[in-house]
Amino acid sequence: MELFLQQVLTGLATGAVYGLVALAIVLIYRSTDVINFAQGQMAMFTTFFAWMLLDGSFLGFHIHPLHFWIAFPLTLAFGIILGAVLERVVIRPVEGRPILTIVIVTLGLFSVFSGLATWSWGGIPKAFPPPPEIEVTGISFFGDGALDIGPTVISYHDLTIMVVAVGIMLALYAFFQYTPIGLGMRATAQNPVAARLMGIRVGNMLTLGWALSAAVGAVGGMMIAPLVLLQPPMMLGVLLYAFAAAVLGGMDSAPGAVVGGLILGIVENLVGTYTTEEYLHVDWFGPEMKLTAALVVIVLVLMIRPTGLFGRKTLRRV
Amino acid sequence: MLRSAAGQRRLLAFLLLAFFLVYWIPFSNAFPGWVPLQFGSYRIFQATTIAMWAIVALGLNILTGYNGQISLGHGAFVALGGYTSAILIFDHNWPFWATIPIAGLLTGAVGFLVGLPALRLTGPYLAIATLALALSTPQILQKYEGLTHGSQGINIDSPTPPGILDGDLVHWINMDDTQYLYFLALLAAFIMTIVAWNIVRSRIGRAFVAIRDSEIAAQAMGISVPRFKTMAFAISAFFAGICGGVYVQVIGFVSPRSFDVLQSINYLTTIVVGGLASILGSILGAAVFVLVPETNSLLERLHLPAADQAPDVLYGASLILVMIFMPYGFAGFIRRLSRLQPPLVMQSFSDFFGQVGLRVRTIRSNAGGGGSGASDGKKRDGSS
Repeated sequence: MELFLQQVLTGLATGAVYGLVALAIVLIYRSTDVINFAQGQMAMFTTFFAWMLLDGSFLGFHIHPLHFWIAFPLTLAFGIILGAVLERVVIRPVEGRPILTIVIVTLGLFSVFSGLATWSWGGIPKAFPPPPEIEVTGISFFGDGALDIGPTVISYHDLTIMVVAVGIMLALYAFFQYTPIGLGMRATAQNPVAARLMGIRVGNMLTLGWALSAAVGAVGGMMIAPLVLLQPPMMLGVLLYAFAAAVLGGMDSAPGAVVGGLILGIVENLVGTYTTEEYLHVDWFGPEMKLTAALVVIVLVLMIRPTGLFGRKTLRRV
Repeated sequence: MLRSAAGQRRLLAFLLLAFFLVYWIPFSNAFPGWVPLQFGSYRIFQATTIAMWAIVALGLNILTGYNGQISLGHGAFVALGGYTSAILIFDHNWPFWATIPIAGLLTGAVGFLVGLPALRLTGPYLAIATLALALSTPQILQKYEGLTHGSQGINIDSPTPPGILDGDLVHWINMDDTQYLYFLALLAAFIMTIVAWNIVRSRIGRAFVAIRDSEIAAQAMGISVPRFKTMAFAISAFFAGICGGVYVQVIGFVSPRSFDVLQSINYLTTIVVGGLASILGSILGAAVFVLVPETNSLLERLHLPAADQAPDVLYGASLILVMIFMPYGFAGFIRRLSRLQPPLVMQSFSDFFGQVGLRVRTIRSNAGGGGSGASDGKKRDGSS
């Protein structure tokens, strides 16, 4: 039982990371119907930007290394600008074309960012400094060590990621539900033509969608980088899981993305634990197939709910 | 002469193309030095690869371009075809030519089974479900090593030209292995192109297109949507299986690492860049895809720093530019050229700058209107 709880907790922590990136994917999909394959690489790119600020070597210039909490908002701003510029310059010209065309454009962006990152910073993995510790009621966020919860432990870093993911989700929920801009974005996602007639600047809303999503991705990248070392392909695995999580939760549901991520993390961990020789005495299955198992779960869920767990069913009028 | 002028021109073009493909590419390396455009054995190998990828692109285009179902899992089908062929040759000593149709049929059957659950899914959901297929394939291949020989893969001997062709009998046909493999791939690609051509121009193909454009309307016309959607998957997988079979002959080796996720995504890129719902587009896409590294070495000669430092940047950027400026891929571009129409490029160009805020007068807008006549006229001259 202890082992089970421990694995669930660890799964929740991995899942929070997937959920965070899935959230960024869903944000773009909801407002523009585009699956952004470059999401992970954009997050990686912004994380490299943060690393430059923290490390004090800005594109070859020596600058004073910044404190994390100064670099953090700067990176967010960079992410927002990056997302907005990409939407204006690269996505806008193909707006209204078949979805596949836009998907290929994001694949192109994927290549561009991988290439740029390798070109500017090289392929050698870099240690990304974790944020300074913050003590809140005895829990040291971002710190080393672990928190005891009953018989199980959870590392502070995992806990932080979970808190950040949930925090971002709540903030986004509040933004979409209670602010006029959020309302405008929801209207744009639902019916661009009607939204335009109501006086909403649809173009600006789409740009904002990309900007927000890049910012969320930047946070995700900065959370993950201390765990996996900063390098151009660092988001590849996470990105695929994040896609799966977004689909599992329903592509148009922000809470669904986080829940999907958490489920995926838990399933992955449990399958990895309980299919070893010790528990499962078969030779046709094993922990090395945990990705396959997680994917089978997703496909099975999709068979029952074709638009994911929380996705809205789309009705089409002829 | 009953043929129309257009028909004659088409026949001439076909004969020229056939001459180029069947004689010039494989045999030009024996020409005297002053003949231009010779193909060395590496170039012949590249042509072989193009023929090979054209087969899977044709299949994927039937599924995605004509039937509107997205698949990010075709690498899995190619892997299945490749492994079927390799196992039959390696473990059961089958002759190579017999394994390729078997590979196609088996993969087609699996494609049919995959098509059944795919019926319920659309758009991103289908994309991820098929991506799942591609993602788990290497793991499955590695796990069941009793059948697949695990991570070490399977090495087979590539087919060599039979006695008649390698100069024993008829000494003036002296074909080496590279040329022989090229002909094999070319033959397979040719047959599959004919098959694809006939499918998309038949009742089945029209049903595919009708379903793509509107499932409800297609249903109202009496088309069984589930039957044709699964059929599209089966046909598409059949093509991928054949491609896998040819792949094994050409490369002579399969391993779980031969078929990663990127491969599956690249197939999709291939058909979109080449041109969706177009036979020509599938083939052009395959050619572009194989020849992309070549343009890189071309740019290296121009001393572009990005060419040798970050080929990915150029690849990605050209992908984006192609999508912006050639909305219907290379096939659409060529189709317009062949009709002597100005390419859509100019139109997209003005659209592009109009959208990012730099106003360039559009060419198509009402000719008489608009104040700044001078710049307007200049632009029109440039485009026509």
